[in-house]
Amino acid sequence: MNQIRIPQGMRDLISEECEKKEALKNRIEDVFASYGYRPLKTPAIEYLETFTNAYVDVKDEEMYKFFDQEGKTLALRTDMTVPIARMCASKFVNAKPPFRFRYCSDVFKVRHTFAGQRSEVTDCGIELIGCDSRSDLEVVAAALDTMKAIGVNDYELEIGNSEFFRSACAAVKLNDEQVKALASYIDRKSLVELQEYLQTLNLDEGAVSFFEELPMLGGKEEVLQKAEEVSFNDALKEEVKTLRNLYQDLKALGYEDHISFDFGKVPHLDYYTGIIFEGYVGNVGSSVLSGGRYDSLLKKFGRDLPACGFSVKLDALLDVLPMEKKTIIRVFYPKGKEVEALKKAKQLQKNGAVELVEAEVQEVEVKA
Amino acid sequence: MSLSVALTKGRLEKKTVEMLEKSGYGIESLQDKGRALVFQDSKKDIQYFLAKPNDVITYVEHGVADVGIVGKDTLMEGGKDYYELLDLNTGICKFILAGMPNNNPLEKVGHIKIGTKYPNVTAAYFHAKGMEPEIIKIDGSVELAPVLGLCDGIVDIMETGTTLKENGLVVFDDVCRISARVIVNKVSFKLKREEINALIQDLEKARD
Repeated sequence: MNQIRIPQGMRDLISEECEKKEALKNRIEDVFASYGYRPLKTPAIEYLETFTNAYVDVKDEEMYKFFDQEGKTLALRTDMTVPIARMCASKFVNAKPPFRFRYCSDVFKVRHTFAGQRSEVTDCGIELIGCDSRSDLEVVAAALDTMKAIGVNDYELEIGNSEFFRSACAAVKLNDEQVKALASYIDRKSLVELQEYLQTLNLDEGAVSFFEELPMLGGKEEVLQKAEEVSFNDALKEEVKTLRNLYQDLKALGYEDHISFDFGKVPHLDYYTGIIFEGYVGNVGSSVLSGGRYDSLLKKFGRDLPACGFSVKLDALLDVLPMEKKTIIRVFYPKGKEVEALKKAKQLQKNGAVELVEAEVQEVEVKA
Repeated sequence: MSLSVALTKGRLEKKTVEMLEKSGYGIESLQDKGRALVFQDSKKDIQYFLAKPNDVITYVEHGVADVGIVGKDTLMEGGKDYYELLDLNTGICKFILAGMPNNNPLEKVGHIKIGTKYPNVTAAYFHAKGMEPEIIKIDGSVELAPVLGLCDGIVDIMETGTTLKENGLVVFDDVCRISARVIVNKVSFKLKREEINALIQDLEKARD
């Protein structure tokens, strides 16, 4: 039987798509390189433990798993940040931070069947390791330059601060389970359930209205003011100030047009420890860039260093980018003049791609 | 920027169209729709299309629709990659646990079998009670399953309760309330914030 199928969630790319993807990758990597980030490669296959060690709630059903000869469980990498954290603690154990790493690799997650999602995507990103939150500005500026390099005019980088939510939870003494439930409702902006859940928590009025407002605390600059108004203690006001300062700095650098804020952005609380940001472009239904500060990840691999980074999902962008303009020069030649044709082609190759075509012609002819 | 709104076909359709009309939207084409699938609002820059409940979620998750109106029952069973911003307080019904009289699955000792169209809802409900039933997926006329002895009980949607009564079934517990909800694509909410907030506010007014 002819086996012509590919597994669920996988894609073949035709040449035009590959060219588009390659050009996008190059534009993005040029930005990374210009900030002094240097490339790394890690294996596609890791021990499953590497990922379960890194994340508190690894989604088991999202991982491709198999066994090695000794019966140890292996997994296809689901992201690049964890392998790089692992590598930092082993291969760079004798090197002095800060480290600026970039990568462009395929990562794998098992997606719902028939949901139109991809299980293999190319992740192109950077990690700045060994610098604390004072370096947030540099990373966010790189993210904004990256968004610009994508080549779509209609884009926005949305910034949040996971400490804002965390600090509020600590102030009203919620336990881990309550924090997790609350984060899930707020992050999904599930307003109806959020209100129902808040009723059960016995919080004072100020705190209730704070958490109720949180999912809708999003928008342009003016939202910083609103966030300050709902802040019910000094620690919260301080967190807003962090973002305000970051915004002032970005403004001074001329980035303000494409920046917005969302204080209700609280995904993966076991992972992010400070600013957190996502990039959106028009006509793509999910975020195309995501990142943030994760100061406690490297500790889990035995190297306690702060870190911040982001990555772009290249595949999501392919549908909104125009085809690359490629001009191919064609050299037509009659049978028996292969050597002459190839000689001509090699002269022309420095100008671009040359294709040899055997044809009913008398002499070697060049057509653009 | 123009908005695209996915409405759930059927039971919810009429109620949502009424709410939109009440808010002063130009929905004439939706009231006299013939065989068209996409409808342009005559007053605002909005396009509507009609879809089955599950497809409304799919369209919104992919961003093909910016906004969707769909029942909570479908949301509870399906994906989670969207913002759920408003309870429209219409299309109200509830999930219930029902079965044959004197055979309450919640009181049974030993293996329990539950028939349902909603395996995820059923699993979540029982797990919250510390119970783990065997769930049997049934596609239509769920009421039949306990009558024929396929299962100990069913988890299903109840509007009036007539169907249950006619089949001799009784309600043992309310699982939760269901109503129509407004869901929004995550990226659309960022890039079309004003348009979406205006629509939400109008629907909120029409509801109250």
